[in-house]
Amino acid sequence: MNSFSLRWSVAALAAVSLLAACGERTPDVPGQRTMATGDVQKAALATYVKPGDLDEYYLFYSGGHSGQVSVAGVPSMRHIVTIPVFAPYPGTGYGFDEESRRMLGAFTWGDVHHPAASKTDGDYDGRWLFVNDNANNRIARIDLRDMKTRQILGPIPNTMGNHGSSMVTNNTEYILVATRFSTPLAGRYEPLEQYATLYKGAVSGIKVDSATGTMSVGWQIMTPPFNWDLGATGKGPSNDWAFWTSYNSERATGKLEVTSAQRDRDYIAVVNWKNAERAATGNATTVSAGVRVIDPARAPGVMYLLPCGKSPHGVDVDPSGEYVVCSGKLQPTATVYSFAKIKEAIDKRDFEPEMEDGIPVIKYNSAVVMEVPVGLGPLHTQFDGKGFAYTSLYVESAIAKWKLPPYAANVDPKSLVVDKIAVQFNIGHLVTSHGDTRRPRGDYMIAMNKMSKGRHLNVGPSQPESSQLITIGGAKMEMIYEAFTDPEPHFAQLIHRDIIKPIEFYPRSESRDRNAIWAPDGARVTRNAARRTVEGNVYAIRSYFEPGRIQVQQGDTVILHITNAEQQRDEIHGFGVVGYNKNIVMDPGETKTLRFVADRAGVFPYYCTNFCSALHQEMQGYLEVMPTGRRLTMYDASGVMRIDGRAAARGVAAANARRTPAGSLD
Amino acid sequence: MKLLPAPPMLRRPVVQRALLLAAAGLLVAAVFLPLWGMTLVSVQYPEGLRMIVYPTFITGDITEINLLNKAIGMKPIFNDFFLELKVLPVAFAALALLCVVGAFIRRAWWSLLSLLAMAGVGGYGLWSMRHRLWQFGNELSPTAAMTIDPFTPPMIGSNQIAQFATYSYFSWGTTLPLIAGGLVLAVLWAQLGTGRRPNRQRARAKSVSELQPARS
Repeated sequence: MNSFSLRWSVAALAAVSLLAACGERTPDVPGQRTMATGDVQKAALATYVKPGDLDEYYLFYSGGHSGQVSVAGVPSMRHIVTIPVFAPYPGTGYGFDEESRRMLGAFTWGDVHHPAASKTDGDYDGRWLFVNDNANNRIARIDLRDMKTRQILGPIPNTMGNHGSSMVTNNTEYILVATRFSTPLAGRYEPLEQYATLYKGAVSGIKVDSATGTMSVGWQIMTPPFNWDLGATGKGPSNDWAFWTSYNSERATGKLEVTSAQRDRDYIAVVNWKNAERAATGNATTVSAGVRVIDPARAPGVMYLLPCGKSPHGVDVDPSGEYVVCSGKLQPTATVYSFAKIKEAIDKRDFEPEMEDGIPVIKYNSAVVMEVPVGLGPLHTQFDGKGFAYTSLYVESAIAKWKLPPYAANVDPKSLVVDKIAVQFNIGHLVTSHGDTRRPRGDYMIAMNKMSKGRHLNVGPSQPESSQLITIGGAKMEMIYEAFTDPEPHFAQLIHRDIIKPIEFYPRSESRDRNAIWAPDGARVTRNAARRTVEGNVYAIRSYFEPGRIQVQQGDTVILHITNAEQQRDEIHGFGVVGYNKNIVMDPGETKTLRFVADRAGVFPYYCTNFCSALHQEMQGYLEVMPTGRRLTMYDASGVMRIDGRAAARGVAAANARRTPAGSLD
Repeated sequence: MKLLPAPPMLRRPVVQRALLLAAAGLLVAAVFLPLWGMTLVSVQYPEGLRMIVYPTFITGDITEINLLNKAIGMKPIFNDFFLELKVLPVAFAALALLCVVGAFIRRAWWSLLSLLAMAGVGGYGLWSMRHRLWQFGNELSPTAAMTIDPFTPPMIGSNQIAQFATYSYFSWGTTLPLIAGGLVLAVLWAQLGTGRRPNRQRARAKSVSELQPARS
C-alpha cells in the first residue's frame, strides 16, 4: 500500500468512526435508558459481579506517565487499587517514608508501559510483577504477596528510554529489556551528526534472583543505533531466544516520522539470551558504565537481524513457541515467521550479503510463513491457546481474529482472518487471559484504547482512556463492557485469581525491622545533641500514638520509626505532620521510617491520616519544635525523652490497676 | 435409704481401679484442653473474634478484643490478671492425685472425699467464671470513651452486646472433669454397695449374698 492510499483510508476511516460515534450517542435525557434485550442482556449478566462477589481475574494495567500500576477485577472492570511505583502516592504514603524515598531517588515520575508477571514453566506463578520505566531507564518489581513496589533498579546503564521491556523468560531467569533511543554509550557526548556510527542501542539481561526476586544488571548487547520498540521472549522450542522490533533502521535523525519511514523493511532482533549469558564472560565484551557489554559482531550466535514490514511495533510469540508474529504499523499485515525456519536459516548461514555493523541479517524469505492481511495499523498480537491470534488495529480501531499456522498449501491469506470487532477508539495494546504464556485461557480479552470520545459523560478536555472487555470463548468476539481508566494504560497482565495469593496484614512473627515495637512501653525518643538528631520509635494502634508528644529543637533532624501494631486486616494507620508536607501510611504490622529536618519552630500536630476507628479523629499528638535558644524541657541528661503518657497508655492495664472503684469516684 | 445395687462388673476391684485411674487421666488431660470459649461476631468481623480459656492461659484474638473493649472501658484481658489460671492447674492435679490414691486404697469415704473436692473445684470454677464475666461487664472504667449500660455476658448461649453477637460455650476442659466426676461417682456407688474392701471379703465369702451381713 502506498502512502497516498494509506493516508486516504485513514481519513475515510476517521470520518466513518466519527459518524458511528454520532450514531451511538447516549440519549439526550440522562437516566432515560431503553430496556435491555437479547445480547445486551446477556452481556450485562456476563459482566455483572454482585456486590460482595469476587471477580475471576486480576487485571494489572500500567498507568503510563502516571508512573503507577492499577489493579482491576475482570469481568466487572472495577478498579480496585492503585499500586504506586515510580511516583509518590500520598494515598499509601508512598514516596514519603525512607524506604520508598530511597527507591524513587531524585525522580518524581516514570512512564510505565509493559507489566510482566513472573513465570514458572512458561505460565504465571503469582510471585512478582515487573514494570518498566520508559522515561528514566528503570525497572521495578512489585511483590504480589503484598502488592507493594519492593525494588527499583536503575537507571540501567547504557540505556535511553527503557521501552522494550519487561520481557520475562519462562522461568524468570531474566527480564530482557531494550533501549528505545540510541545514544552514545555510557552517557558520553558525541555530536548528533555521528548518529549512524557512534550512537548505539542496547539489549540488557536483567538477572532475577529466583528466591527473592532481586534484580541486577547481568549483561548488555550493543546494537546498531536503531530505535528498539517491543520485545517478546520465546517459549518451548524458542525458550532460549528473545525477539525485538525496531524502527529507524535508516539510522536517521531529524523528523523521524519522515526520515525513519523510507525503507520498506526494518528489523526484528533475534537474540539468543543463553548464548549472550555465555558470551558475557568471554573476550567479545567491553566494560561500559560498569556493565559487561557484548559486541554481537565479535560474539557469534548471540544476535541476528530479521527483516520485517515497515516500522513494526509489536512482536509476539505464540503459545507453542513456534511462531513469531510481527506487526508493521505502516503495513496492513501481521507477518508470521516460523522459529524452525529461523533456526534452519541460522544453521545454514542463509544470510543477506550485507550485514548491519557486523550482525548477520537472516533472509526474509527463508523465515517467513505468511503475511496475514489483518487490517490497518496492526500493533500487538495476543493468543487464545486454541490456534487463533488477535491483533489490535490502531488505524482501523478494531481487533482481527485470525488463524495461526499450519496452513494448507495455496491458502488464500484473506480467508485466515475469521472475525473482526470494532473498538472505540484507537486501540494500542490488547491483552487476553494468560495471553503471553504457554497456556492462554482463551476466555477474556481487553482492548486498551487511546481515545474514548463521546463514550462517557463529558469531563472536559482531559479525556480518559477506555478499556473494553471482549469475550473470545465463542466463534464470534463479543464486546460486553467498557470502563474508563487513569492515564495512560499501555499493556496489562490478565491473571486468574487462583494464582495470586496476597496477605491481609504483615504478621508480627515475620517482622524483621529492628525498629519495630509492639507495645506502647517500647516507645522511646532519644536526642543526640552533638549530631542534632532526634530518633524515636513510635507505636501506633487504635486510637493513639505513643508518644503523644515529641519535643525537638529547631534544626534537629527528626527520624521516627513508626510501627502499626495492629494484627487485623484493614486497620491501617497514617502519620501526617501538619504543615511539614509529610504523610506516611503503615499497613497493619508494618514499620516505616519518616525522616525530616524540623526547620521551622512552632507546634505541629501529627495525626492518623487513614480512617482507623470510631476514635480516629482523636488519634493525634504534638510535635513541639522549640525555637533556637529555648531549652528542651523533656530530655534527661542522657538524651532520653520522658514520655508523659506512657503509664496511661501502657495499656489500659496500668490505668485500670490504679483506677479508683467506679462507685467512689464522685 | 435403700441403695440400688451396683452392677457386678463395677464391683470388681480391677474395674474400680481402672475407672479411678481413668478419672485421674481425664483430669490431667483437661489441664491441656480449653475450658470455655466465646466467639464475637459483627459485620466488621464476619469471621468472628475468639476468646478461648484454658486452665492455664487465655488465648484467641485477645489483642483485638482488648482494643475494642478499651472503648467501653473494659479491663484488658491478660493471663497475669487471673489467679484462676494458677489455681486451676494445681487443683486439677490435686484432684487427679486424689483419684490415684483412691485407686490404691479404694475406700468409699475417700471416693466421697474426692467427689466433694471435685464438686468444690467445679463450683469454684463456675463461680469465678460467673464473677469474672460480671466483673468485666460491670466494672467499666468511668473515664471510658463510650458509656454503655453494664452487662454480664452469658456463660453459655448467645447474647448481643453493642454491635457484637456473642456465643459462649463450654469445651473439653470442662467436659472431661465432668466425666471424671461421673466415674468416681460410679465407683463410690459400687463401694457403698459392697463395703470398703470387697476383694478381701470376697476371698473369704462363698457368694456375693454372704457379703451383705458383713456390711452391718
